[in-house]
Amino acid sequence: MKWLELVQVAGATLIAAVTVVVLYSLGVRLTAIAGDVSERKPSWLRPLAYVCFGLCGVAVLFGLYLIIPYFSK
Amino acid sequence: MVALVIALALFFDFTNGFHDTANAMATPIATGAIKPKTAVALAAVLNLVGAFLSTEVAKTVSGGIIKEGSDGVQITPDIIFAGLMGAILWNMITWLKGLPSSSSHALFGGLIGAAIAGIGIHSINFESLMQKVILPAIFAPIIAGVVAYLCTKLAYALTSRHDPESGSKLTQKRGGFRTGQIFTSSLVALAHGTNDAQKTMGIITLVLIAAGTQAPGSGPEFWVIASCAFAIAIGTYSGGWRIIRTMGSGLTEVKPAQGFAAESSTASAILASSHLGFALSTTQVASGSVIGSGMGRRGTSVRWGTAGRIALGWLFTLPAAGIVGALTALLVQTGVVGVVIAAVAGTGAVLFMFLHSKKSHVGHHNAVEVDQAGQAVRFRKKKKAMSVSSSKDEPKGEL
Repeated sequence: MKWLELVQVAGATLIAAVTVVVLYSLGVRLTAIAGDVSERKPSWLRPLAYVCFGLCGVAVLFGLYLIIPYFSK
Repeated sequence: MVALVIALALFFDFTNGFHDTANAMATPIATGAIKPKTAVALAAVLNLVGAFLSTEVAKTVSGGIIKEGSDGVQITPDIIFAGLMGAILWNMITWLKGLPSSSSHALFGGLIGAAIAGIGIHSINFESLMQKVILPAIFAPIIAGVVAYLCTKLAYALTSRHDPESGSKLTQKRGGFRTGQIFTSSLVALAHGTNDAQKTMGIITLVLIAAGTQAPGSGPEFWVIASCAFAIAIGTYSGGWRIIRTMGSGLTEVKPAQGFAAESSTASAILASSHLGFALSTTQVASGSVIGSGMGRRGTSVRWGTAGRIALGWLFTLPAAGIVGALTALLVQTGVVGVVIAAVAGTGAVLFMFLHSKKSHVGHHNAVEVDQAGQAVRFRKKKKAMSVSSSKDEPKGEL
């Protein structure tokens, strides 16, 4: 039985999904804070949100890299 | 016979396409991230592209479940014909019932049944069957479910905002998850195209090699690649709306953050499984993710009755497709008359199910009640009307 492979797949799934979801959620939260009407808020909030979304984009590109055999073989 | 098998293989590819649209597109449709018709069109294009991207086909039809090859048994076009028949009929039945079930498991089931009836029980490699079909069927939904559960919890915890003084809720902008859903679901659709169209290409190529029209060991011909790609794309575009309904609103209510968590888990699980060598079924991963994300969001209930029906469907996939495959194999063995009878009976059954499906039409217009749209609330039932009217009153920030 390929138990090792099973554990690897489970672990990789967990790490990948949690990374993407955490980054995207942070992006969403930072956007929400940046959209608040309050006066005192640092100006780097919105750029930071975009950085989070950007990193998610990188994760998607990595997914594409894995899917397309031309790159990963 | 060869022409018949190719036609049947392409039809299987088509059923595979419309059976699996739901895996990628059910949750974005349910949250309103993508309009239903746009979603299936997007999935179809990605499947088409995916099919052209990856054309390295398998060397065996069954991936080792049937002891084929030089030291084993010879899988004849007859057996493939019977196996495909079993797989197609099971795909049609589950579609009619709106059950997401794995197309590749149906194909394995059909082939196994046909091999047992046509060759004998010794032709089956049970260890490989356990490892490639039965264990993944148990673990795929568990892995995906647990990951999606955690992701949903995290997504809601990270985006939940309360005013520190008054304790009232602040805007959370969870609708932003919709944009993310488009990308994650597209990844799932593309991965599906690269994986599943390949299976049909492999079958057709192996049949052509067995018939002597193609050199052994050569890759698929261009027309094979093109026709498989279009068969799966057309299948995807025709949209298995019944299955989309089950996945998008039958199992649990899906909100954007939850849908994004489920989609990310599905995409991660599929990519991990195809690159780390433990094959998981896309359908089972996707169903597990939806259930897991439903458990992770507070205030949602998972309809365990529907989940149970789906699990029951998985349990029957192998034996049911196997029985049809076996019966077809027995018929085919009797000669040309048997082949004709099998082909006519199969076509008849598919036609009957198609006509039967017309009685209760499920299309893009009524597949899923999109949570923010008032237009989809036409088929009010006693219970649904309550939940819909209450969710309509919620402000948009509550997503």
